[in-house]
Amino acid sequence: MSPMGEIRLERVFDAAPEEVFEAWGDAESLATWMCPGSDMESATVEVDFRVGGRFRIVMHDPERDYAQHGEYLEIDAPKRIVLTWVSEWIPTGEAATRVSVTLEPELGGKTRLVLVHDGLPEGDAYVGHPDGWNTILTKLGGALASQKETA
Amino acid sequence: MVEQAVGLDETFAALADPTRREILARLRRGSANVGELAEPFDMSLAAVSKHLGVLERAGLIHREAHGRERRCHLRARPLRAASAWTEAYRSFWDERLDALDSHLRKRRARKQK
Repeated sequence: MSPMGEIRLERVFDAAPEEVFEAWGDAESLATWMCPGSDMESATVEVDFRVGGRFRIVMHDPERDYAQHGEYLEIDAPKRIVLTWVSEWIPTGEAATRVSVTLEPELGGKTRLVLVHDGLPEGDAYVGHPDGWNTILTKLGGALASQKETA
Repeated sequence: MVEQAVGLDETFAALADPTRREILARLRRGSANVGELAEPFDMSLAAVSKHLGVLERAGLIHREAHGRERRCHLRARPLRAASAWTEAYRSFWDERLDALDSHLRKRRARKQK
């Protein structure tokens, strides 16, 4: 296996773990914060929040839609959520990336959130080698690939 | 500019386009001017310039005047670090967690009313 990228972010929220957890599992909440920042934009969210259930989030902006989907691998309220993550608009190849969210209670009713996103493609393979892209885009077989080939 | 006003992280949006990724791949082999960059594409110089503008704003390239021509260079920082995608996802999640934070604050404020 080639080494894959991983990112890790930590945040403390001024809310109880239950509240933070709910914001990750509820379609209406997700639509509020899982979308680009400025107020004219929105997201369409479908969520089946259970292990083995799937989600799909489509972020809308004036230029195009950005869709992502995945499956819940682990749900342990109000402590941990693990899901697969595929951004349909970037060439991540066949590897599904994985996001895990861990919540820990902090003093004062706060919550520490640790987000780890791993299995990310290494930039070189995607930005550095046009041949690599062609293979990936062909595999994708989606809009990007057909657009490219007819161009 | 409309393109800049969108909330999605700029690097991500810049990389999402196949033409722009191809331009970056070309620049990895060395600097080039707009005409050279436009060659493989069936599009106008103006259209290619627009792509270059997006890449420049995302910090992925910079343009430099060499006498009368402007040459484009790949910017080492975002790309040399093994993964542009990793950096792009980092900004993406950073923005999302900011949004989550403000969502939780608003919810709390509503409850306290």
